[in-house]
Amino acid sequence: MWGDWHQLWVIISAPDNIPIVAMLVLVPFFTWYAFHNALANDRLIAQLEADPQLARTHHRTTYPYNSRWERELHTNPFLMRKELLAAVIVTIILMIWALTLNAPLEEPANASVTMNPAKAPWYFLGLQEMLEYFDPWIAGVIIPTLIIVGLMAIPFIDANPLGNGYYTYKQRRHAVWTYLIGFEAIWLVLVSIGTFIRGPGFMWYWPTQTWDPDRIEFNVNQNLDQVFHVDGTWLAHLLPSSWQSSAPLIAKGLFGIIPMVVYGVLAALFIHWICMRTEYSRKIYRKMSLLQTVTLYVFLITMLFLPVTIFLRLVFRIKYIWETPWFSI
Amino acid sequence: MPELPPDDPIKSRSFANPILIAFFVLLLCVSWAMYQEFVGLRPWRGYQNEFASAYSAYLQKELRARDAAEKTVSSSADYQKLVANLNQAQDAATPKDTAIEKQIAVVDLQRAAILHAFQTDRSLVGSLIYDYEIVPNTADYKSEKQSRLKDVLDAEAKTYSVDWPDESGKTTSRDMNYKQLNDGFNQLLDKKAQLTASEGDANKPVKDAQDALDAYLAAKLPGLNSTQLKGLLNTVQSMDVTLVQINVNPPGHEINDVGGVGLTDRCQSCHVGTNPKYVPPGFVLTKADLGMQKSNDAPFSSHPDPDLFKWHPLDTFGCSPCHGGNGRALSTVETAHGRYEHWLWPLYYPENYEAGCQQCHSADAWTEHAPALNEAKMLFREKGCIGCHNYSGFDSQADQLQDTIREIASLEKEKDTDNQEIPQLNKQGDQAPDNATAQKLYAQATNLTVSVSKIDARVEQLDELSHSLQQEVKRVGPDLKEVRMKLNPTWIPYWLSHTWNFDPTTKMPQFQLQPDEVQAISAFVWQQGLKGPALDKQPAGDASKGKDLFNSLGCLACHSIGRGSQQTGGDVAANLSRVGEKANYDYLVRWIHDPRVRTAPYDPYLHRDLTPADYAKKGLPFVFDLQHSTSPVDGHELVVQQQTIMPDFRLSWEEARDIASYLMTQKDPGAHYDQASYINDPSLFDKGRTLVEHYGCANCHEISGLEDAARIGTDLTQEGSKPIERFDFALLYTKAQDGILPDGKHLVRDGQSSAWYDLKGFFDEKLADPEIFDEGKYKPDPMDRLHMPKPNIDPEQRDALVSFLLGSTESTLPPSYQYLPTDQRKYIQEGWWIVTKYNCIGCHQIDIGQKSVLMGLPMYQGDNSIGLPPVLTSEGARVNPEWLKSFLANPALSATDTDRDGVRQYLKVRMPTFFLSDDEIRKLVLFFEALSSQQEPFIPEKLAPLTDQERSVARSIFTSPAAPCLKCHATGNLAHDKNATAPNFLLAGQRLRAPWTERWITEPATIIPGTAMPSGLFVRQGDRWVFNGPLPAAAKQYTGDEADLLTRYLFEMTPQEQSMLTGRTPSAPNSGSSSAKK
Repeated sequence: MWGDWHQLWVIISAPDNIPIVAMLVLVPFFTWYAFHNALANDRLIAQLEADPQLARTHHRTTYPYNSRWERELHTNPFLMRKELLAAVIVTIILMIWALTLNAPLEEPANASVTMNPAKAPWYFLGLQEMLEYFDPWIAGVIIPTLIIVGLMAIPFIDANPLGNGYYTYKQRRHAVWTYLIGFEAIWLVLVSIGTFIRGPGFMWYWPTQTWDPDRIEFNVNQNLDQVFHVDGTWLAHLLPSSWQSSAPLIAKGLFGIIPMVVYGVLAALFIHWICMRTEYSRKIYRKMSLLQTVTLYVFLITMLFLPVTIFLRLVFRIKYIWETPWFSI
Repeated sequence: MPELPPDDPIKSRSFANPILIAFFVLLLCVSWAMYQEFVGLRPWRGYQNEFASAYSAYLQKELRARDAAEKTVSSSADYQKLVANLNQAQDAATPKDTAIEKQIAVVDLQRAAILHAFQTDRSLVGSLIYDYEIVPNTADYKSEKQSRLKDVLDAEAKTYSVDWPDESGKTTSRDMNYKQLNDGFNQLLDKKAQLTASEGDANKPVKDAQDALDAYLAAKLPGLNSTQLKGLLNTVQSMDVTLVQINVNPPGHEINDVGGVGLTDRCQSCHVGTNPKYVPPGFVLTKADLGMQKSNDAPFSSHPDPDLFKWHPLDTFGCSPCHGGNGRALSTVETAHGRYEHWLWPLYYPENYEAGCQQCHSADAWTEHAPALNEAKMLFREKGCIGCHNYSGFDSQADQLQDTIREIASLEKEKDTDNQEIPQLNKQGDQAPDNATAQKLYAQATNLTVSVSKIDARVEQLDELSHSLQQEVKRVGPDLKEVRMKLNPTWIPYWLSHTWNFDPTTKMPQFQLQPDEVQAISAFVWQQGLKGPALDKQPAGDASKGKDLFNSLGCLACHSIGRGSQQTGGDVAANLSRVGEKANYDYLVRWIHDPRVRTAPYDPYLHRDLTPADYAKKGLPFVFDLQHSTSPVDGHELVVQQQTIMPDFRLSWEEARDIASYLMTQKDPGAHYDQASYINDPSLFDKGRTLVEHYGCANCHEISGLEDAARIGTDLTQEGSKPIERFDFALLYTKAQDGILPDGKHLVRDGQSSAWYDLKGFFDEKLADPEIFDEGKYKPDPMDRLHMPKPNIDPEQRDALVSFLLGSTESTLPPSYQYLPTDQRKYIQEGWWIVTKYNCIGCHQIDIGQKSVLMGLPMYQGDNSIGLPPVLTSEGARVNPEWLKSFLANPALSATDTDRDGVRQYLKVRMPTFFLSDDEIRKLVLFFEALSSQQEPFIPEKLAPLTDQERSVARSIFTSPAAPCLKCHATGNLAHDKNATAPNFLLAGQRLRAPWTERWITEPATIIPGTAMPSGLFVRQGDRWVFNGPLPAAAKQYTGDEADLLTRYLFEMTPQEQSMLTGRTPSAPNSGSSSAKK
């Protein structure tokens, strides 16, 4: 049933979902705010680059210059008072939150009854959503590990010396876009889908659609090899007779390598193309060691693989691209 | 680029205002938090204050009224006299009292004087004795021992100077040694005790006078007196507004103790009126008392049934174990009552309060103070729920019987194998190569023979058991094997499709059947019916006589007759106002004559009915009854009776024909039945069978081929503990959550609109109309539909059943809370199952306060209540249990003269024969004994035989005009018994218990209020009962207890004695002794 605004309200007003609803407002705001400041700074940078005399005397990064102002200010009180204000405001918000909403506690768990929908806490909803698209092994172990290792690796593969301590877009274009795609476009969207879209049976419910625990949906997801009818019949002719029974498996395994390689190459070319677009990025690229470059490319290729798979699944109902007896991707 | 400010904005900008505002808001938040902490989350503070002021006002009002009333009473002469008595007693006692007080004061002084010296000396001597005793075993042991002994003796001899006060107040100095101190001290203790006792004696008249005064006041003005009221008012006015909590735990358990309950109830924090500290037991406080009758939010009434606390003390039971709710929560009414989706034990709604009882009283068939629950349990059986749904405790005999039958079958198989093996072993032994082997094989064969005989013994025992069980197994609905003999075939399809039209009070539920399904079921049932042997043809009877019999025999305790407002009778069995349309007269006569008679016995081992041919093969006549209940084919127990609870009234054939003729006249003249030619269509047979199996018809009815059908419904024993997710709300899920009922209305509970996505909601709607859960579902095959038919219950009965189901939980309370007594109360518990099973309470009052069906009928109102069956509230104390056993087995108390009641032949209503099993009889007897708190086992009272002189006195009492015993009591003489309204004395000796009889002849009204037996026949003189009427001079000299004498006389009553007295009843009493010598 569509147009069930009550249902939407139930989802939005659930105490569990308050952080996510807040996130939907706060993340765009801070993104806007960051860009607002970054672009202002970029203009200043451009101004300073055009006027070497000004660059020599200018001493505040974020404010335009006035020669009568002091060159540096003390932390106390000029920073501290702002922080104090921020701390008080955050305390007020937390107090009001605590006073108005009770902890969303439920009944004692019953081992014989599974809750429906059974959802992870909000900070794990992205992971849970990934389980829809990947093997548990991939979604639950490999990708989270890569995410953590990738985040730890950032300082070591970042060859760009600029942009520390102030907002800027021009000087850190690639970093900004990686963040926008990796965190906002992929991770936060996954969390939001998990919160607002997944209903009973972890099925897809558009906003204002009623969550019905008895809903039944028909969907057939196919592996890519099934779409191309790879069943190993022709491979069987080429193999010795003792191997023939495993021909379908071998054929599928071999077939799956092709799209993976094609994707890897295409994605690498795309990333490389981006890295080579401007003189500045080429300069950074040249500064990077081979290990840094390879690491960066591997992580970016993996990151981009996520939206590609989700797209294939949601639009073309592709289950796995590469299926082997040991793992499936 | 905009114009830059002259001053540095970071430095010059003031943050004073934002920080001030932020801190101000923070302060507001802190105040809000404080408010929440002390008021918002503690609404009970407000409730307690509100209660205290309203209750104080109420108490003050009461106090004023009480004072005024006491003033009125105190001006009465009686009161003045009592006060004068009191004053007089006080005046008399005071001088004595003062003297004793003075003596006590002296004793106290003397004790104080020697106390110090005594204590010091005692310590010293004690320590020296210790030193003496522990002398180490060394070389100088002896001398050391000697020297220490000397120390002890020296210390004992040492004297202390004591200032000894005497009565005149002077002190003299005394030297006292250890022994003197010790003795002196003990003497003083004794003396003080004596003095205190004599002080009590001296004051006794005062105390008695005070007690008399109090008793007078209490009798004149019941309730709390002004002192008590004042105390209460003080308590309330100084009420400490604080959290009140009960740690719910059985005695001997601390909170959070393993084996404890782990519950904390704080309900009394708001429900202040239930706190005995403020509202003492016996003091009822209602909203109206507090002037709050209109308020929806005044939780101050006291508990409406304070008696319950006698067995459920508040400090071990608390509130929530019975009522549900979240006893710990206090922040809002909603959370405290647990009425939100995540609290699994919400407060029961008022209509389901008794669900709380069921949680621990599931082993009871009858729980006092829980009328709705008792009704629900009766309904669960009567309306046939038990047919399809198992519920542990209810009628498990059928299951036990199945187990027994299975065990017998498997034992038989084992026996067959053994029997085959024995000759083989013997043969092998014969051919054995050596002696030793042969001996071994022979021994094996012998062992097998012995084990075969053991199996035989076990089978015999099981057969015995199954004989008893066969008698106990009852079915909810009538036997459908005999449809061809008893029913009009066109009636069957009508009944199936218009069940409640035909009988609005029937127990048969309404099945939602399509016309083709009705035809198929009718055809199957008809074709499956027994075709012979044919019934005897019966001549017509006298319908008007039959009507009288029907109305007077007690049929109406179970059956009803008449429609709508005309309807009278019980609802345990069918309404008979249209029985003439369906029944076959010949069958009806047989049924009324003895409803337990079967056309053919059923053999549960062969799974078929036996035929005369089966008996003829063994050369036996086709006779089967409780005495001939073994199968001629396999030797095991048969089903020889109809599995109905309808008892045998031991009527003559003529009476049976009269009643049947009367019942055949019971017809609706407008009734119309369609032809049912399809009923013989064999092509409908298979479809009918499938439907009959699907709807579980054989769970209630006996149907050929489906005798062993298993119950098709869910087990409901712990239905109330099932998680809500296990209940299929089908397409009503969303409606249930939004509180929209199937009919589109919004659900209102307790004055508030509410969702019904909970157990109560499911049970309510399922019982109201089970079919709604099929509505809109895709079920092309009728066999996919839900099995459950619509039960024939009214909304009140539904509430009772819902309470019963809600309380059917796997209790979270420890087992010690379950009511599973092991003493005599266990017999009461077991007995009620049988009493409710056979509807004994249709005729008899058994529990105090319980009303039988007959008591409510118009023909037994007023003076006519003399015609009611006896009240059994004290049956266990009244009768000899051995006699009761024989009476229950054969209420006619005769093997030949059965068309009568054994005890009360003068009653038109008759105790029928229920063919109870031995076990049921035993349980019933124990039940009655336990109900009257009689000692078990029964030891008959030894009564001293009467001497001639005593007999003559007794006879003169018995025949005295002041006690015309034989005016009412029957004698067995037809002419005399026409007006009799009480039992024959000849039965007394074997039937009654002497202590009860004595109480009965002296104070009958205390045993059965309103009885026709006159009270005041005897008066109490000292410690004996004396006849309250004129007696001859000779009798007046008797000094023993005359009630006891009469009892012994009655117990020795013989027919000769009785007939002699009948002839002479009001004749001159003084010729008694001479006639006794004849």
